Amino acid sequence: MYKLYIEKDTSSEYLLKKVLKKEGIKDIEIIYNDYGKPYLKNKELYFNISHSNNLTVLVISNEEVGVDVEKITMKESIIPRICTSSEQKLIKTPEDFTKMWVKKESYVKYLGIGIAYGLKNADTTKIKGFILKKYEDYYIAIYGDDLKTLKED
Amino acid sequence: MKEETISLIASILEIPKEKITEKTNLINDLELESLDLVDLVAAFEEKYNIEILDKDIKSLQTVGDIINYIEKKNV
Repeated sequence: MYKLYIEKDTSSEYLLKKVLKKEGIKDIEIIYNDYGKPYLKNKELYFNISHSNNLTVLVISNEEVGVDVEKITMKESIIPRICTSSEQKLIKTPEDFTKMWVKKESYVKYLGIGIAYGLKNADTTKIKGFILKKYEDYYIAIYGDDLKTLKED
Repeated sequence: MKEETISLIASILEIPKEKITEKTNLINDLELESLDLVDLVAAFEEKYNIEILDKDIKSLQTVGDIINYIEKKNV
C-alpha cells in the first residue's frame, strides 16, 4: 500500500510529522542508513521525501520505497554522463528528460544508496514498475516493492 | 584554483561569487537539489577533464570539498 502526499510551501519535516501523526505514529525516531536514507527506527512504516522548488512530495508505504519530483527541465550537457545509450535515444524533449531523471532518482532512493549507486547503472529502459505522475509542471516518480495500490491525499 | 572554482559555481548557479566561500554548503546554503549537483559536477568534469565518480558526489558537501577533490585529481 502506498500513499502519496503533495504539498506546496511546506518543509519536509513538517509534512512528515503531520502524515505520521495521521497514521497514528506518535513516537517519531528517525534513523539513517550508511548512505543517509531515513527510516523510522522500528520500520513500522517506510517513507521517502523529495522536493523541487516549493513543492514537497512524501510517499509512505508498508514496503521499501523511493520517490522523486522535479520541475520539467532539460539539461542536455549531463545526458551523456547519466544516461545509457538506450536512454539517450529516448530523450527528445524536456518532458522526456525530466521523466527519465525522476525515474532514476526514485530507483536509487528506493535502493537506499542514492546517486552513489551510479546514475547510469539505474537504466530506466530495463527497470520496470515505476509509477509516474504529472503534477502541474512537475513529474513525480515512485518506485517500490509493492506498487499495487496507490492512494493520494 | 580556489577563485576559479568559486567563479564557475557562481556562473552555473547564476549567483554573485561574493556569496560563495570555501565553507559554503552546497545543499544547506545554496539549496542545491540532486540535479543541480550533478549539473555542477558535470561542469567541473568538462572544465578540468577529470572524472568525478557518482559514489563521491555525496562527499562534496562544501565548496571547499570540491576544491580539495579537484586538487587531489592533480589538476
